[in-house]
Amino acid sequence: MSPRQRVRLLRRGVFWLLVVLILVYLMLPFYWAVASALKTEAELIQTPASYWPQAPSLVNFQAVLSNLTFVRGIFNSSVVATAVTMMSLLAGAFAGYALGQLRFRGKTPSMYMILAMTMFPQVAVLAGLYAVIRLLGMPSLLSVTLSYLLFTLPFTVWVLQAFFRGLPQTLLQAAQVDGATMMQSFWKVLLPLTVPALVTTGLLAFVKAWNEYLFALTFTAIDREARTVPVAIALFTGQSAYQQPFGEIMAGAVIVTVPLVVLVFAFQRRIVAGLTAGAVKE
Amino acid sequence: MNDRTIPGAALGVGDPPAERRQRLLAGRESRTAWLLMVPALLVMALVALYPLGQVMVLSFTDARFATQAVERSYVGLDNYRQLLSVTLRELPPVIDPETGRQELRNGVPRFESWVRILPREPLRYTEAYEFSLFGKRWVLGATSPAFVRAFVDTVVFTVWSVGLEAVLGMIIALVLSIEFVGRGLLRTLMLLPWAVVTVVAAKIWEWMLQPTRIGFFNTLLYDLGLADGNIAFFQTEALQLPTMIAMDVWKTTPFMALLFLAGLAMIPRELYEAAEIDGASSVRSFFSITLPLMAPTIAVALIFRTLDALRVFDVFQVVLGGQRYSLASYTQALLIDQRAVGLSSAASVLIFLLILVFALAYMRVLKVDTR
Repeated sequence: MSPRQRVRLLRRGVFWLLVVLILVYLMLPFYWAVASALKTEAELIQTPASYWPQAPSLVNFQAVLSNLTFVRGIFNSSVVATAVTMMSLLAGAFAGYALGQLRFRGKTPSMYMILAMTMFPQVAVLAGLYAVIRLLGMPSLLSVTLSYLLFTLPFTVWVLQAFFRGLPQTLLQAAQVDGATMMQSFWKVLLPLTVPALVTTGLLAFVKAWNEYLFALTFTAIDREARTVPVAIALFTGQSAYQQPFGEIMAGAVIVTVPLVVLVFAFQRRIVAGLTAGAVKE
Repeated sequence: MNDRTIPGAALGVGDPPAERRQRLLAGRESRTAWLLMVPALLVMALVALYPLGQVMVLSFTDARFATQAVERSYVGLDNYRQLLSVTLRELPPVIDPETGRQELRNGVPRFESWVRILPREPLRYTEAYEFSLFGKRWVLGATSPAFVRAFVDTVVFTVWSVGLEAVLGMIIALVLSIEFVGRGLLRTLMLLPWAVVTVVAAKIWEWMLQPTRIGFFNTLLYDLGLADGNIAFFQTEALQLPTMIAMDVWKTTPFMALLFLAGLAMIPRELYEAAEIDGASSVRSFFSITLPLMAPTIAVALIFRTLDALRVFDVFQVVLGGQRYSLASYTQALLIDQRAVGLSSAASVLIFLLILVFALAYMRVLKVDTR
């Protein structure tokens, strides 16, 4: 082997070592969650911990699925995340169309306001929103849903307006020549073309709403029934009050993560497009 | 017809038909646009602007949650004074009256306790930090030491996690920019830490980092002969922040890597080819081509992540609970656990201002296209 070849081999080796390291780093917590969820109570509290389940069992999954708070949390989260996604797509597509395709006075300030809103810290309105909710006596689930629009809507508007901007103006003009009103051309001509962007922003809105914790924890503090999945998992208590039932928590973690894994594998490209939108100047 | 002083010109009465039609259309376009903006603006007013105004008003009151309503009276800047008042004092050595020299306890020189040094009137200061500098002993007193510590912790957390994420993200992006078998799969798997619920990730890490060999890391470190298997990651003060940082880095490095990957994809390949022909090493091309061309992407990513890290809540609240706070988790605890609405609102306003600075920088870098 010539020295040149040896250097190349070494480079390849280092490269693949890096790839494996990255893979292990990314996947380790997921592996440990699944492995722990499959362990029995006795195996979970044994030291040292076993690196893989000795006698895999589904007891933890059964336990967590018969836990009412957890199951209700899944239901609540699904309702909230779906409603948030729908609402922000609808309002977002309207505003995105206006900002991306139409000309009107006050457009520039509107754009800056929306962009500023995408960075709005949730915690800044915490006490104010809480006071509003208590004042109106709004049901917790509804208040959580509405409050999530704070971080899903500006982002949705922002990405969609960029997309609408990318559509040729001639489309709108052609539709108008054919006698279509502005709304008709929106529904019939432009909206069908935005489906990819709608999928992207919808996915991101859904994932963000599914993950949210600060508002959910705060606004359901007095209403246990309305707890979403993150709150249910964070406050999970088992039979014994002394120790956290990590086996069941890990089973819950796996159950909550599976739908996200499916989404990621199904829509990998669209999610990446959404995440990098705006961050990279084209 | 070009004379604009003709009455009615503004209404389009005196214009030729084509121009009138144009203006009519423009008017309709403008009306439609505003109508389309209404739902979004209404929502933003309801969940952002009105509550923000409320928070600002509340921050000047002593509002607390009573049983039913919120009772309050205006207290001016008291809440801000309460949160922000700090004082630095020197702790004098304790002198042994017999020898006239500094007293030792177990071989360690003794200093006065901060209780005697820090002022009590009009506001009561307690110790936030105690440290030695220039051979003297100092105490940083604050009227809300927990808030001061939360601020310092949040800043330290932000600097470390964003810095580490940038470096690791760049390494991962560079690896993934090379063609290899399984690259697509790895790119997809990278989205998983980003997608997983933060609370869930925090719980998994909490379980992996248990203080005995029940936990993964203590078992692993013990088996590798690196530790005794009893590292209390969350109970040891010095390890708390590094642990939080590690958890955040795991979750958001992939996001950073994706941004960088998108940036890398836009650098023309010819540049690297030209550099190679000129005999530049790959390290040289990285610093002379990649880094400068990636500067805008890196700037955007850093500011974006800084904005995110400064409002960190989930990991701190889930893992450290009341032990140690970030700015956001302290604000939430003030509101819900202590029911101090006014004080919590003042903290919210301060966070808002802090974020605003970075948000303005971000908008500067991004330069909005408003054609």
